[in-house]
Amino acid sequence: MIKIEDLSVSFQGRTAVEHVSFSIEPGEIIGIVGESGSGKSVTALTLMGLLAEQASVDSGRVTFDDTVLLEAGRSIDKRLLQKFQGSRMSMVFQEPMTSLNPTMKVGKQVEEVLQLHTELKGEEARKKVLSIFDEVGLKNSDMVYESYPHQLSGGMRQRVMIAMALILEPELIIADEPTTALDVTIQAQIIALLKEINKRHHNAMLFITHDLNLAKTLASKIMVMHHGQIVETGTPEEIFTNPQDDYTKMLISAVPQRKKRTCNNAAQRNQKSSAAKGLKSFEEDEDNRKSIAEQIIENLQNVEKEHQEQCVQNGSREILRVSDLDVFYKEGNNSLFGGKKKKQVVNGADFSIYEGEVLGLVGESGCGKTSLSRAILGLNQNYSGQIQHFTERPQMIFQDPYSSLNPAKTIGWLLEEPLRVQKVGKDDRKQAAMEMLAKIGLDETYYRRKPSELSGGQRQRISIGQALITRPHFVIADEPVSALDVTIQAQIMDLMMNLKEEMGLSYLFISHDINIVYQISDRIMVMKDGTIIEMGETEELFSNPREEYTKILLA
Amino acid sequence: MKRKHHLKLNKYLVAGGIMTAVMVILAIVGTFWTPYSTTTMSAAEKFAAPSLHHIMGTDNFGRDIFSRVMKGLGTTMMVGTLVVVAAGAVGILVGALTGFFGGWIDEVMMRINDAINGFPSILLSLVVISVLGMGRQNVILALSIVFIPSFVRIVRSEYIRLRDMEFVNSARIMGVSKMRILFVHILPNILSVFSISMMIGFNNAILAESGMSYLGIGVQPPDASLGKMLSDAQGYMFTAPWYALSAGVTIVVLVLGISLLGEGIRRCSND
Repeated sequence: MIKIEDLSVSFQGRTAVEHVSFSIEPGEIIGIVGESGSGKSVTALTLMGLLAEQASVDSGRVTFDDTVLLEAGRSIDKRLLQKFQGSRMSMVFQEPMTSLNPTMKVGKQVEEVLQLHTELKGEEARKKVLSIFDEVGLKNSDMVYESYPHQLSGGMRQRVMIAMALILEPELIIADEPTTALDVTIQAQIIALLKEINKRHHNAMLFITHDLNLAKTLASKIMVMHHGQIVETGTPEEIFTNPQDDYTKMLISAVPQRKKRTCNNAAQRNQKSSAAKGLKSFEEDEDNRKSIAEQIIENLQNVEKEHQEQCVQNGSREILRVSDLDVFYKEGNNSLFGGKKKKQVVNGADFSIYEGEVLGLVGESGCGKTSLSRAILGLNQNYSGQIQHFTERPQMIFQDPYSSLNPAKTIGWLLEEPLRVQKVGKDDRKQAAMEMLAKIGLDETYYRRKPSELSGGQRQRISIGQALITRPHFVIADEPVSALDVTIQAQIMDLMMNLKEEMGLSYLFISHDINIVYQISDRIMVMKDGTIIEMGETEELFSNPREEYTKILLA
Repeated sequence: MKRKHHLKLNKYLVAGGIMTAVMVILAIVGTFWTPYSTTTMSAAEKFAAPSLHHIMGTDNFGRDIFSRVMKGLGTTMMVGTLVVVAAGAVGILVGALTGFFGGWIDEVMMRINDAINGFPSILLSLVVISVLGMGRQNVILALSIVFIPSFVRIVRSEYIRLRDMEFVNSARIMGVSKMRILFVHILPNILSVFSISMMIGFNNAILAESGMSYLGIGVQPPDASLGKMLSDAQGYMFTAPWYALSAGVTIVVLVLGISLLGEGIRRCSND
């Protein structure tokens, strides 16, 4: 139905998409997977005819049925594209807050699409909008119709966007990261909705995402893009079981998966090998089976005891104890005469962190996990209950490396600042900064650079270095990898694990992504609406979650 | 690679730079040497048209206008610089404290700020001058007070924008003191915005000084000032148009040059 042949797009001489060809048939869902800057969004925008003016189509063409929409060397026919936009193909954007007009009721916004493309007016148009709202699963469609975007939740807004894209029953829907800005549970609902729509209307869908797992659940065909080229195409099964391209392989291995972690504990390794040995002699020596079996059991018990003792040795020292903690947020205006309201965001948190331990904290946005960490760090003093630190101040690794590093300073200055505060001498500071650069995998030339010259992953390394330069025992990491591409994510996680072993750190690791938390944590806490609803050993929690909410997160 | 960006010249920068440089050189030279004495009068040469001897002609007392423009430029630029430096310093201090801490300090300071802002600047300077008396220092003082609110507004809004950035939280967690966060961590980040507002402020100060001198409450004779010259020249608009023109054009070139320079810097830093 839609064919893209040999498409190349460049921005002022920089190639964004290179010789891309593919076609989409009705009923098909194609997933384009790639990291930021891989050209996946540019491909979609070209298809929609929404390219920026600086962009130029260098080769190839786009055909819809038999109409040529776009061809290299021909000026863009805006009239023709307009006829296709909205009515025969439409788009769902990533950020539902900014893609809706904040000053207009959402019902009117959807209705506007109808008025532009059809003859429907007044009551009829309204009815049509309400019915489409029902179809995308918006309950109380009357109320939603009369709402402004800020009155709706993120998931509802995205449903409105989908309704808008769907209302003219287009043959092609392009969804550009439609769930990236949403929480995990909402994400799953939107994906299910898209799938259902595809089944019911039998339209084609182009699904663009950086998340390979998401593409796997939704798409019937996956294309992997890298540096503007399609490096691999195949069904999800083919891509996951037998990836051909090196980049795809890397992408798949970087996806956080719930495979068993390699056992690092010496006692557990001993246990494994002695059990294996015992098993071998058990098989070979038929006469003494009973005594061998007893021996194995005894061995195992010893090992278990040893393990426990080690654990106690390693982890007996409490580093942080939080008891019965309520955290509040001051609401209302900060003015002289304005009243102040207190809003409770964390409700009776009660836990401890032990030396050398990684405690994971999982929850969706707005559940209070960041407020909890801010209270522990002393950034928010509005709390009741107790926070006891048994070591020095905790340090923090921030989520967004673009705002956590002072853009006016050099990397060297930034790394040295914590030491400067502690009145460490100039030469010692510089030496410590150089050592830290080596530790975080950057060379000495970075000392004089500014944050603006670094990539996101490099910045996050600096942020980690800055947190660790004072050799703290306890570090809070608030979504340290969620702003990064998947392959970079894996590198940063590795770095954090290595530094933990090397420096004997404890982490409070906060994330919305339970798979990432799984990779690194010894224990996990699940938080919902300000309350810690479940806490347990990682394996235990994964294999046997008690709460319904945890099960949803794990699904 | 990034460094190249900073040096990349644009037309605004070049044009503004040349115009400003010429004016600055004239002003600096003017403080030490002028072609003629700025105070010696000569009845014989009264209202001489521009010539090779007097490139801008002479005024109603037969004084060389070019020499007086050079001197007046110096006075005007000095007043402008001192006003911007004084008002800017107070602006940074007040803006930083109110923007960063918020709360009742902010509330009280901003209301005072609004009160000052509420008066037309000329009126306010008139009040200050009438209380303190005339003279160069008082002109500078009066204008500084008038210019503080605009700097406070700019600095305050930048601090409000930056105070919730993660790098400020990060500094807090490190245990950096509040004053150090204010003036070592945040301040460098507002300098690009602030330097541009300094330039705009400098221009406004020059215009305000000229305006005050024109009204007769600014720099007093025998000191030369561009505004005062303009006011003197207005009576001879038709007999000696070069008098008004030379003072007027000088002000225009100076203000335009600095505006262009500011715009050039803004474009450079935005790239």
